[in-house]
Amino acid sequence: MEKNSNKLQAKDLVNVGIYSAIYLVITVLLSFLSLVPIFHPLLTIICPIAGSIPFMLFLTKTKKFGMITIMGVIMGVVMMLTGMGYYCLITGLVAALIADFIAKSGSYVGAKKSVLASGVFSLWYIGNYLAVFITREAHYQHVIEGYGKAYADTYMSFYPNWMLPVLLIFCFISGIVGGILGKKILKKHFKKAGIA
Amino acid sequence: MLEFSNVSFSYDGSSLVGQINNITLSILKGQVVLICGESGCGKTTLTRLINGLIPNYYEGNLTGIVSVDGEKISEKALYEIAPIVGSVFQNPRSQFFAVDTNSELAFGCENLGWPEEKIKERMEQIVSEFHIESLMNRSIFALSGGEKQKIACASVAMLNPDVLVLDEPSSNLDLKSIRELGEVIRIWKDQGKTIIISEHRLSYLMDLADRVLYMQNGKITKDLSLEEFQKIPKEELSRMGLRSLTPITFQNHRSTKGMTDEQIVLSNYCFSYGKRTALQIDQISIPKGSIVGIIGSNGAGKTTLARCLCGLEKKASGEVLINGKSYTGKKRLNLCYMVMQNPSHQLFTEDVLDEVLLSMDDNEESQSIAEEILKNLNLDTWSERHPMSLSGGQQQRVAIAGAVASGREIMIFDEPTSGLDFRHMEEVADVLAKLQDMGKTLFIITHDPELIERCCDYFLFIENGTVKWCDGWNEETEEKLSSFFDQTHIRSIFYT
Amino acid sequence: MNWEVLSSQIKRKGVRLDPRTKLFLLITISILVVGGEVSGMMIVIKPLTALIPFLLLFTIGKWKQALSFTALFAVLFLSEMFILPSMGKSGFLLLFFCGLFGRLLPGVVMGYYTVSTTTVSEFIAAMERMHLTPKLIIPLAVMFRFFPTVMEEYHDIGDAMRMRGIRLGGKKTSKMLEYRFIPMMICSVKIGEELSAASLTRGLGAPIKRTNICEVGFYKIDLFLILFCILMLGLNLLRAAGVF
Repeated sequence: MEKNSNKLQAKDLVNVGIYSAIYLVITVLLSFLSLVPIFHPLLTIICPIAGSIPFMLFLTKTKKFGMITIMGVIMGVVMMLTGMGYYCLITGLVAALIADFIAKSGSYVGAKKSVLASGVFSLWYIGNYLAVFITREAHYQHVIEGYGKAYADTYMSFYPNWMLPVLLIFCFISGIVGGILGKKILKKHFKKAGIA
Repeated sequence: MLEFSNVSFSYDGSSLVGQINNITLSILKGQVVLICGESGCGKTTLTRLINGLIPNYYEGNLTGIVSVDGEKISEKALYEIAPIVGSVFQNPRSQFFAVDTNSELAFGCENLGWPEEKIKERMEQIVSEFHIESLMNRSIFALSGGEKQKIACASVAMLNPDVLVLDEPSSNLDLKSIRELGEVIRIWKDQGKTIIISEHRLSYLMDLADRVLYMQNGKITKDLSLEEFQKIPKEELSRMGLRSLTPITFQNHRSTKGMTDEQIVLSNYCFSYGKRTALQIDQISIPKGSIVGIIGSNGAGKTTLARCLCGLEKKASGEVLINGKSYTGKKRLNLCYMVMQNPSHQLFTEDVLDEVLLSMDDNEESQSIAEEILKNLNLDTWSERHPMSLSGGQQQRVAIAGAVASGREIMIFDEPTSGLDFRHMEEVADVLAKLQDMGKTLFIITHDPELIERCCDYFLFIENGTVKWCDGWNEETEEKLSSFFDQTHIRSIFYT
Repeated sequence: MNWEVLSSQIKRKGVRLDPRTKLFLLITISILVVGGEVSGMMIVIKPLTALIPFLLLFTIGKWKQALSFTALFAVLFLSEMFILPSMGKSGFLLLFFCGLFGRLLPGVVMGYYTVSTTTVSEFIAAMERMHLTPKLIIPLAVMFRFFPTVMEEYHDIGDAMRMRGIRLGGKKTSKMLEYRFIPMMICSVKIGEELSAASLTRGLGAPIKRTNICEVGFYKIDLFLILFCILMLGLNLLRAAGVF
């Protein structure tokens, strides 16, 4: 019967779709904040925290390997479709795959492993920022030609290279924080409401 | 032939709701069987056993055998059951997989790998059989509830299953759509399909059903032919928790009480979605303290009126005058309270008591007042529970408790009894009467004639965004109401 | 209000492209316009590729948007190329933003075009043609179906909050996010369970090769655009290899 099988069943796949929709709606609604430029880097904090709440709920429905990975790929597909480039496809696949392994090592129930998985999964979000760094790199040569090296270096200091790992760490920590928050909300609401 | 032998089932978890005890039953091919009984009696569980969702989707403890034409349902995977048993569900919003009607019709056949040409042929046949030409190539999200339910029926018919299971299919429909649903069932009956319908609303099935099963606490306690069932007197039906079998004549409506001489005046309501005018009301006045039934077909503008009245539509014009005091737009948000059709949208906190406290200002007495309100609405036993874990009817009462606590003068209910059995409908009516005693003015959007007979004392009839008539009880009102609600009764279209 | 991410209804307007062509265009634009430098051959390759999404906007009758986006892109691109270098250091911030937006704009416009002209059914059919695994197709289909539902819940809950006086500056401002998102999740999950059950009774997930009645296929215009993309990508490769 279905429940004994380790293969992904239609029910699991539908669940992935549903939670991806909830995750993305929340993330996208918050992304509108980035219309204010100062929020642009801050989204690496806000979105993973908020997204981790449905993600933790999703983990309660996850019992099989692959569901998290598919969710990560879906994030990439949607970002690509909406013109954010293909980077999220790569970051989504990698981050989600690792998160999947982590969650699996806790048999998809361990609290610490779940929170860690949430932190790792949140790293997919960095894909949205890669374009900025890649653009800038490509731009660099052009700026040197036009302005000289000193100027180009100042230019590079806007979103400097070290920002990339910093943003990455932001994502991770926010994902962890969101995961812990998600755990709390699971107890406070979802379990009592009978959906987790 | 559909057979149950010694079937028992209980859901995982300790709840006894919906469990089934040792049912043995056989249903002949071509029979139309109506399953009725109070909420939680196990009707839905029975339908899930037939379409295989138990044990494939809902987990629990199953014993006994369910079989269709000798094949055991419980040993088959859902995709193997799909071509044998088709299912239509209660909520038209959640039973679609595709987002456009063509794909939705094709969905089942596509899953089972039918060749494209064959699917298209079958689709043409079904479209003309169900007369849904005008619904094709449409977005699912642009359809009304009735249209959605029609598409759901057509999609199920695509696979041409021999057995059809309908779980409270009329719950969210208006009168016209219920009549159309009856016509669909008629088509299936004429094709010789075995049809099992679990339903609270009974009158539209009285010309269709062959046999009626009455369930109580997970057992079938009555197994009657339609003729026998129809002989049951009305009082007995009410005692069994069942709705009326015949159209309501409104002869025994409640006497008018609670109304005062003060008037609430609604004036200059005008609202449009884009270019389409959805609402145009110049002036109507309503006795303060009455329970006003807002009636009319779906899409006539009832919900729009309610939303405007609450001040939820920012662009709407109009005002409410109570004793000459005017309330416009934003102010009405603090004057009116709408209990939505799906109350789970308006419950926010983690337990029932907090939910009530949320509506009040913080002070020392609020705790005891809140407890008082819960007691009045028979909710005190649930005060620690998470609102979302309660049943629909209980959630509705929690929402009402929030409304009472907020002290609003005007309360609006959007179809408070859709999908409720007799007893729960009566409970709602009692609560409404209680609110009236507190001096509130209530507006109730409803398609439920039994609720109207039981508690309304003033009426607004809406058609095409305007108020066609408004009046209290008198002979003319009775006449108008019963002719409007008589449309549900299927006899009127087949024999006139 | 329309909250669909992919549309649910075919708009019989303008040129219809195969969803696969649109995907290929999206990728090409990401590579050439977002990534590439602005020197040598790229001065030609870049604007040519970037022009495609703007032209496509014309074909679906979005004249105003098409014109304004084209103008915006032209201004950004030209100023990045010619004007800003002569402005000295004061143009520093401007340069950065022109560079950034100029590169991202065509991709975003292409994304807008893709999601607004592709129906969910077409997209699924295209993915099935590409022989992607159902493990990816089913969740994607459910997700696109589910976006509007989640948004409906979101709005209904927003209405209820306003009615209960929970708003900015009103009661419980600090809890606004919790009150808005938690019920939205709970309601969505419940609807999702029903949706899941309903689709399973109709054979979803059968271990049988699915068929699909939605017609997708390549036409001349698709071939033209694909060839164009390949040409541009090829030129870029040659340039990178140092041929030009």
